[in-house]
Amino acid sequence: MLEKLEEVKRNIQREIKSITALKDAEQLKIKYLGRKGIIHDFMKLIPSLPAEQRAAIGQRINSLKAEVTNTVEELIKKFSGEATSKAKHEVFDITLPGKRPLVGKKHPLTQTIDDIKEVFARLGFDVVYGPEVESEYYNFEALNIPADHPSRTDFDTFYIKNDILLRSQTSTVQIRVMEKQKPPIRIIAPGRVYRPDTVDARHSFMFHQVEGLLVDEGVSFADLRGVLNQFIKTYFGQDVQMRFRPSFFPFTEPSAEVDISCSLCKGSGCSVCSYSGWVEILGAGMVDPNVFKSVHYDAEKYTGFAFGMGVERITMLKYGINDIRLFYENDIRFLSQF
Amino acid sequence: MKISYNWLKEYVNFYLSPQELADKLTNAGLVVADIHSVEDDFCLDVEVTSNRPDCLGVIGIAREVAAMVGASVQLPETNYINTNIDVSKLISIAVEEPILCPHYTARIVRHITVKPSPDWMQKRLKCIGLRPVNNIVDITNYVMMETGQPLHAFDLDKLSDQRIIVRRARGGEEIVTINGASRALFHDMLVIADSKRPVAIAGIMGGKDTEVSASTRNIHLECAQFEPRQVRRTSKVTGIASDSSYRFERGVDPEGVELASKRAVKLIKDLAEGEVANRNIDVRLERYETKRITLRIERLNKVLGLEIKRTVASDILKRLQFNVINEVDTFIDVEVPSHRGDVNREIDLIEEIARIYGYNNIPTKTSISVRGSVKSKYEIVEDSVRQFLIGIGYYEAKTFSIVDASPLQSVNLWSDKGGIDIANPLRQEESRLRTCLLPSLIHTKIYNMNHGVERVKIFEIAKVYLAGEKLPQEKTCLSILADVDYLTLKGIVESLLTCLGITSKCEWMIFGGSILFKADRSAKIQLGNNVLGYIGEAKELELKISPCMIELDMDLLIKMSNFSKKYQTLSQYPPVLRDLAIIVDEEATWASIEKCIAATNVSYLTGINFFDIYRGKQIPSGKKGIAFNLCFQAQDRTLKSEEADIALQKILNALQETLGGELRKQ
Repeated sequence: MLEKLEEVKRNIQREIKSITALKDAEQLKIKYLGRKGIIHDFMKLIPSLPAEQRAAIGQRINSLKAEVTNTVEELIKKFSGEATSKAKHEVFDITLPGKRPLVGKKHPLTQTIDDIKEVFARLGFDVVYGPEVESEYYNFEALNIPADHPSRTDFDTFYIKNDILLRSQTSTVQIRVMEKQKPPIRIIAPGRVYRPDTVDARHSFMFHQVEGLLVDEGVSFADLRGVLNQFIKTYFGQDVQMRFRPSFFPFTEPSAEVDISCSLCKGSGCSVCSYSGWVEILGAGMVDPNVFKSVHYDAEKYTGFAFGMGVERITMLKYGINDIRLFYENDIRFLSQF
Repeated sequence: MKISYNWLKEYVNFYLSPQELADKLTNAGLVVADIHSVEDDFCLDVEVTSNRPDCLGVIGIAREVAAMVGASVQLPETNYINTNIDVSKLISIAVEEPILCPHYTARIVRHITVKPSPDWMQKRLKCIGLRPVNNIVDITNYVMMETGQPLHAFDLDKLSDQRIIVRRARGGEEIVTINGASRALFHDMLVIADSKRPVAIAGIMGGKDTEVSASTRNIHLECAQFEPRQVRRTSKVTGIASDSSYRFERGVDPEGVELASKRAVKLIKDLAEGEVANRNIDVRLERYETKRITLRIERLNKVLGLEIKRTVASDILKRLQFNVINEVDTFIDVEVPSHRGDVNREIDLIEEIARIYGYNNIPTKTSISVRGSVKSKYEIVEDSVRQFLIGIGYYEAKTFSIVDASPLQSVNLWSDKGGIDIANPLRQEESRLRTCLLPSLIHTKIYNMNHGVERVKIFEIAKVYLAGEKLPQEKTCLSILADVDYLTLKGIVESLLTCLGITSKCEWMIFGGSILFKADRSAKIQLGNNVLGYIGEAKELELKISPCMIELDMDLLIKMSNFSKKYQTLSQYPPVLRDLAIIVDEEATWASIEKCIAATNVSYLTGINFFDIYRGKQIPSGKKGIAFNLCFQAQDRTLKSEEADIALQKILNALQETLGGELRKQ
């Protein structure tokens, strides 16, 4: 009996090895474990055995049954699992495009103004705003630009009526601030300005400026150079060079135009800098004593400097934009680039 | 102003290439915008700022170069031989307006030969872009370009009675100028007249009748000065801008007449033969008084942030032809050369020294005091609004404040008054200050649609201009346009208000028709006693889809915003939620339901959340079903279900009584 059992065991082990598919495993299960299977047949023989052998043989049969059951079930599981996964073979593609949330953008001119504001905020400048529709006084007289003066040629202006106009520069804010406040003063004033220029790739009848003003005791031209140098290095890059050129503005004396080394050609000359290696970015100077006079400041006690820059110009330089009209067309394909 | 490189070398010695010269001039404030070669010469295009008319002549530029390189200026030859016939026998001069014409001189040359000017002169004139005419005209141009002082030659024989009167134009007078155009003259214009008629518009352009022609034998050479503002006004009114008016309106050297006049006569004598009358006629209002200025060395160094010695400062001033009359350790007294009309004060001398010392040789100090900057509420709110909107996918647009006067652009949500017109517009398309931002956003939407972008979400923060007392009221607005539905845009505004800490409830009131909005889908938004703005679906303009738009009073948002926050304890106890659906009349609004529920003042009600509206088979016509839930919660204990039920019943009763709302049976 025991020998027979051993033989069955060997047979089973051999047959298991040759199983390659679910079907074979299921047939094996029926052959050995089924109601009419071989192991069951052994079970039926137990009562006919001598009483002292029954327990031991029974145990052997049971353990064989358990062993075979385990193995066969595992095989069934294995082969049936393979079958299902082959039927619906799905692989998660990690390279599919992500689902992007829609993100908007600030207008590039706002970004430039924000960047300028941030640099000057770190240097202690507050941001102030002034009206765009102004009286001639704030746009001209108080800024030392008398009527019928040739310097007015540089400031063609839109008029509303007699002495009311659209400001042609943000310098008007200087006067409004100094009228209300005593020194020390440290402000920048961003905003829209207007000049009757025919629109083309380089001109627009409306554009943006940022004006700056610092007034205190003992402020010098060297401080102006220091502050603008800080701004230029922070905004345009540490390796950018600054150049001051004498110029003329009625509201500053001495007056300067400030250039930076052309970032495109690194000073060797290209079309952006008209082959000079330098690009003009702002006008500046020491506040003219006549301006202090119009706001009743003591020009002997206080000195100060002012500067003004064109936001469109700086933005165009920074991104290589060649047409100012793009800023006002608001093409989403343009706006989304910045 | 265009100058010739070779011509310049006649007055000052320098060893600079055209490019080196251009760099030096640029760094001294005379920007050279362009250099190009003309035959064996170079033409430099120099940008002369309006305060430096003294540089509107080659000699003026030579003075600058001399100061830069430390050389001296050679003035041109002016000596000539004259005849014995006195000028007074040949012409008479009367200046009726000495204020407008403070200096008038006449020199007479007779028996001249009018012919082309010699090659050397033609070459120079061509180099700087002037067209040679004949020797006399060329000489007046040449000397103007040399000295900066305009001159004019009249055909003496064509001046009636050989008489010159400098007077105002009379009503009805006209003149045909040398360029052939006829101009009407007005009383506020100054003219040069003979005994019968105007023969030149003073300082601007001569008349055709009396110009020098091939047959001219005798000439009156006018060299005069005219009041700058007068010239500028007349030039603007007549629309004539000439090389002469350009110089007069900026102001010529008050002592420059003599040199220019003599120089021109000398050249006429050399190049057109002729006999020069003895003396000249010189009518002058007053003698020029030399300006004196004191420069304090301490002030110089204080303004520039330098420590330069007096000797350095005085050397620079001398090189610029300032006459140092007194010099001690602490100050320098100078006399200003007559050609420097722009130098009147100590600060002007400081600029001169800085300019020649070199702006880039002044130190770059970083010693300004420390100061913390403060962000204004305006900036905080503007930043928050922008950040909020770009975060939910909106693009910021910037559109023009000046618009056309079309009905769409004339929409004014904020005032009953009309728009503000520009008195001198360039084009009709830009002739009025806008009263509403939305039309520009509609145009932006259309622009994008025409360029292949079907759907947009855009906003702008900018001003509208409302007619006011003296200056208009400039109201900052926030406008949004998006291809979304009304409730989506409304929700965005509600979230934005929460974001700005505005807790007061808005009232959304029916806003009827408008050129912008659909009548049944637009609202006026009331915040407290103020109008916060207007929202609505756009009327079918030429758009296939109608976007939704809103314009808000940004100033009010700033005023009402509140960023102070205080922590609210989180309830430890679970809320009790009750979903319900009621049937009400079609006309009943959600706002009225909310109001009704709020009026019950039931305890523990912490939230009302709208689900949806449905109309259908189970709902009688003329009615609608509204589904929402109510949230009850206590701060200090778990609310019992029965407590919520009591409150709910109270609410249902109120809805029944006030709105006839019936609970929908499941």
